[in-house]
Amino acid sequence: MDPEFRGDIDHHDGTSDATPGGYREKRRPGELAFALFLTLASLFLLYSAYGISGFGALSAPGAIPMATTLVMAVSAGIVALRTARLQRVTTETLSKDILPVTVIVFIGFLIVFGLALQPLGFVLTAALFLIVAIKVLAKRGWGYTLAVSLGSLVVIWIVFRVVFTVLLPAGILPEAEFIQFFRTLISKGAF
Amino acid sequence: METFLAILTVFTQPELLALVGIGTFAGIYIGAIPGLSVTMAVSILISFTFSWDVYPAISLMVGIYMGGVYGGSRTAILLNIPGAPSAIATAMDGYPMAQRGEAGQAIGVTTVMSFFGGLIGILVLALAAPFVSEFALTFQPRDYMLLAVLGILLVGSLSSGSMVKGIFAGALGIAIGAVGRDPLTFTERFTFDFQIMEGGISFIAVMIGMFGVSEALIQLQNVGMKAVRQKIDKIVPSFSTIKTYLPLSLQTSTIGVIIGALPGTGGDIAALMAYDHAKRVTKNPKIPFGKGAMEGLVAPETANNAAVGGAFIPMMTLGIPGDAMTAIMIGALFIHGLNPGPMLMIDQPDMFWFIIGALFTANIFMLIFGLTGIKIFTKIVEMPRSVIIPLILLLSIVGAYAVNNSITDVYWMLGFGVFGYFMRHYGYPLGPVILGVILSRLLDDNWRRAIISEREDLGRFFHGVFTSPLSCVLFVAVILIFVSQTPLWTAINKRVFAKTS
Repeated sequence: MDPEFRGDIDHHDGTSDATPGGYREKRRPGELAFALFLTLASLFLLYSAYGISGFGALSAPGAIPMATTLVMAVSAGIVALRTARLQRVTTETLSKDILPVTVIVFIGFLIVFGLALQPLGFVLTAALFLIVAIKVLAKRGWGYTLAVSLGSLVVIWIVFRVVFTVLLPAGILPEAEFIQFFRTLISKGAF
Repeated sequence: METFLAILTVFTQPELLALVGIGTFAGIYIGAIPGLSVTMAVSILISFTFSWDVYPAISLMVGIYMGGVYGGSRTAILLNIPGAPSAIATAMDGYPMAQRGEAGQAIGVTTVMSFFGGLIGILVLALAAPFVSEFALTFQPRDYMLLAVLGILLVGSLSSGSMVKGIFAGALGIAIGAVGRDPLTFTERFTFDFQIMEGGISFIAVMIGMFGVSEALIQLQNVGMKAVRQKIDKIVPSFSTIKTYLPLSLQTSTIGVIIGALPGTGGDIAALMAYDHAKRVTKNPKIPFGKGAMEGLVAPETANNAAVGGAFIPMMTLGIPGDAMTAIMIGALFIHGLNPGPMLMIDQPDMFWFIIGALFTANIFMLIFGLTGIKIFTKIVEMPRSVIIPLILLLSIVGAYAVNNSITDVYWMLGFGVFGYFMRHYGYPLGPVILGVILSRLLDDNWRRAIISEREDLGRFFHGVFTSPLSCVLFVAVILIFVSQTPLWTAINKRVFAKTS
């Protein structure tokens, strides 16, 4: 079997680390633009690396950055040239196979999550995110959505706060008081 | 005696034993659920175990690693989707067996053979690592530099996809690792005068972005896919079956350890090479290869688990990872204040022997959990993606935030997540990026040490390279790998082959 074999559901999307996306002989929609972007970005980084210490000395702080960005620029350039020569995949479109609306929507969700995390606090933000995300993806009734999202949030919250003792932004919910309330409840019960 | 006690640490503390067990169990299932990968799990876990003591954290991660390498074979057999890179070869004969209704037998043999391979890998690690690290003490800075380059090049060239894209990914990783103030001269590098960039980019944010977020985003396209229900019956294989394949498994385990021990090559390559070897040595298989031959299952599964032990050799003794997974493990050790390299064996031999003990325990747990609990297994694997994906994204955000309590890290993670998403779509390998990030500092420091000790003279540097046998071998290897990917090599190859035929 070809090591590049990607399973039955062939979306050529790099599903799991095991199965890299892309075709060997063809160019996917947007692939050339991505390669050109990488080339330009590498050239810009090369210029920036030159600005660190120039050609001063072989042991200068800019030596390795310059060498690596040069390698990046050259390899990205080769990739761009090779990609440009390939035929386009006729069965795929950018909006269907590479960047569907769901993916854009979810990237948006994540940005909002990041913005709201500190002011609103972890519990509220995560609850909102899970409810909306599961509702959008599962397309099931509100009962299912709320039960699954809030249920899993409770499990995650307990695991992180208790087992992993991760500090998460408390935000507007009186989380500390809540924990304290339970602690006193438990200690009262013990005596 | 002390060594022995250190190996037994896991058994003397019930908490550690439980963590290895939980880790292995979780690893098997994470590896088996399509859409979750072990690389993803461990990179997210690093940040959660950040506040823990080093022993429990390592116990959990070793368990997940060991379980995950094995767990990837489950989906390869049942659904023809390798759950981990190292299970690619397993699908070739495992899936045909499942189609014939022999999934139970395939899983059973896989489990026992993985255990066997894992055991050999750990034994070799325990025996070889002390010698390698003693030898590594004689390494010059230039040798480390060449080893780092070799590792990145090997990952780039051998991971599937094109070599040029692999090289690009590796170089990108080194550049990401260089962002921030240079630790030696305090010069700003790639900061673009932004204050938040001075501290550099958290490698955890890069890892979680590349392996967590990007994968979850990719999975959004498969969200409507139905989970496949599988009927699995008896899975414990008979003793005679095991005995038949023992000689082959010994050979393929050896291949696994050796390939795993090379810097830059891990379980996936070991498995493919072992599969190839099995094909060559098995003259008359009962069932042809590719149609469900048992040999085609035994070979890659012993090899990829043996490669775990092998991959720990360069990781623990040189600080050079074999693949994305060991790169992440090195990151985990860094975070807990350990510095993998030859000095680790001298300063903290207990830590080394503890890891051996943990690996060994995880291997035993893998055998137990692998042969039992098949009913729960089928239930868990059916978990709908519409729930799994939001949870992965949530965990990724929490994970990126938790290490530094910084929202900037969350945005770095998102950025690398989206970038990794496109890289996956267009066939750029992600492993070399992580390897580059982890090795960036080592490469930079050692290059500068090497060139300063030669008084900035390239002539003297190369004189040094060619007069030391080790440096010379490494240098030639780097050049060979590089040349082997250029059109020149292909042309020569064609000419040579044309003559012989």
